[in-house]
Amino acid sequence: MQLPEPVQKLIDAFSRLPGIGPKTASRLAFYLLRTTDDTAPALAEALQALKANTSLCRVCFNITLSDREICEICDDPRRDRSVICVVEEPLDVFALERTGGYSGLYHVLHGVLSPIEGIGVDDLRIQELLDRLKENVTEIILATNPSMEGDATAMYLGRRLAGSKVRVTRLARGLPVGGDLEYADQNTLKRALDGRQTLERG
Amino acid sequence: MNLTHLSLTNYRNFTRFDIDVPGGVLLLVGPNAQGKTSLLEAIYFLAIFTAFHAEHDRQVIHFGASQEPLAVARIVAEFEKAGRRHRLEVRIIQDNQGLNGSRLRKEVLLDGVPRKIQDVFRLFNAVLFLPQMLRIIEGSPEERRRYLNLALAQVHPDYAANLSLYSQTLTRRNALLKQLYERSGDPAQLSYWDEQLARAGAYLIQARIQAVHELERHAASIHLELTRSKEVFRLVYQPAFDPLPRPDNQISLPMETPIDRSNLAYEMIFQRFLRALEANRAEEIARGVTTIGPHRDELRFLANGVDLGSFGSRGQIRTAMLSMKLAEVAWMKARTGHWPVLLLDEVLAELDLERRADLLARLEGVEQALLTTTDLNLFSDDFVRQASVWQILHGRLESSQEPQPGSIR
Repeated sequence: MQLPEPVQKLIDAFSRLPGIGPKTASRLAFYLLRTTDDTAPALAEALQALKANTSLCRVCFNITLSDREICEICDDPRRDRSVICVVEEPLDVFALERTGGYSGLYHVLHGVLSPIEGIGVDDLRIQELLDRLKENVTEIILATNPSMEGDATAMYLGRRLAGSKVRVTRLARGLPVGGDLEYADQNTLKRALDGRQTLERG
Repeated sequence: MNLTHLSLTNYRNFTRFDIDVPGGVLLLVGPNAQGKTSLLEAIYFLAIFTAFHAEHDRQVIHFGASQEPLAVARIVAEFEKAGRRHRLEVRIIQDNQGLNGSRLRKEVLLDGVPRKIQDVFRLFNAVLFLPQMLRIIEGSPEERRRYLNLALAQVHPDYAANLSLYSQTLTRRNALLKQLYERSGDPAQLSYWDEQLARAGAYLIQARIQAVHELERHAASIHLELTRSKEVFRLVYQPAFDPLPRPDNQISLPMETPIDRSNLAYEMIFQRFLRALEANRAEEIARGVTTIGPHRDELRFLANGVDLGSFGSRGQIRTAMLSMKLAEVAWMKARTGHWPVLLLDEVLAELDLERRADLLARLEGVEQALLTTTDLNLFSDDFVRQASVWQILHGRLESSQEPQPGSIR
């Protein structure tokens, strides 16, 4: 038996989402079919509003409300405008914001250089980043993921920025806080050793 | 190293096989297609964690079992190394229940504890000779690189990791080269991949230089013995990226000229490899592929200055391969301090009487060797008397002659 078309269409739509397989997709679809309250309409409304009411910040390309040209962070006068932290995705901005330890600006690349997926320099917001250097920036923090592609992107940006006066830094890597040395994998431990720091004598 | 017990479940034609393995020389006797070679392949699996004789590891799962929802082939070995006893178990699992067709995975347990394959590599060492291995000399360069890789991964601690890093990087670098050619773009993106490739590649090159140098020394003296001083054997490594600068006006040196690269430091190989990648950049973008590096290395086998791959007779090639295998044993012993288990399939069939005697004499130095044969008469009476003899029929141990090799559980 074939499923009625509307149900199958929803299952297919869910299946296209990251992290959702065909089984989860059908479970979600049938759950929505069963609900009598406003779960389904609310979801539909939220989905529609998602694209309609958001846009990208003109400066840092983080997501923001569609009635704003620049995002809250770029607009905030208390922010340190001399430091830019470069991240892969908007979600990374929120992760860094949660730390409460960073008061500079951001720049969202919307991806990484990935030869396998065919993503090159022109597919990312790299030129836009270079254009921002004119605004008295003194430091660029490269906060792409510590993966092969993330490292490749960071190294590429590092080289592009080498000629300018800005200081270019890369996020440190090593042991997780509260972690256990014996459980750390070899590569992480080796990086932690390489990046060891002198203990301040008080 | 001494294999003391072997148990196979659903491995090729062995549905259930459970046996104590004697030390010294063990002769496996039986007609063709009874499972003698599969037995050797299963033991070799514990050294390289893949089936040497199969195109895909899923082929080793017993046909009857492979149709079940969850098909498992299992190899369990008990062995002794440096006075310690270990139990190594490999499970080759084919899950036929998945939504996207069947999937194959391998699990490895050391002394009952699940371990990653990379952590148990180099624990159990073996050297395998199959008649099909003459392809190593006669076949494509890929066969020779695979041969070097399998030997090196058993000996050098980081070889397998660097090999896998190298091939991952190579895939990405080639994709980028192609992308730069098709859509153009900033070639500076290559810098990162150049460096990664050169780092892993330099390790491979250095390890291969060393290994070929040492293997050649062992093989040359063995070969001289096996051929009654008639043939001088040489092993020539021809790296696709040569870290040694060539003399001016000479594109390539004649093969007979020995080149010593054994003193090159890692850092130097890395720097030169990196420079060469940068120098070749424009050409590689135009071709959309990485043209230099260990993935294009070549290895040549020479007897009295003649390239055996092109001009060797079958007998010559066979003897040379045997010299190489025996050299591998000596090399592993020298490198790791332990004798690998020697696995020889139908090794005497094409040798003349003199060479047979020489080979058998050589085996006396080895801690443990398993030999298969269809005909026990190929072996001298003295040799058979010292060895344990098993009869293999239809994936079972049928009978054994004196002395008793062990019991069937």
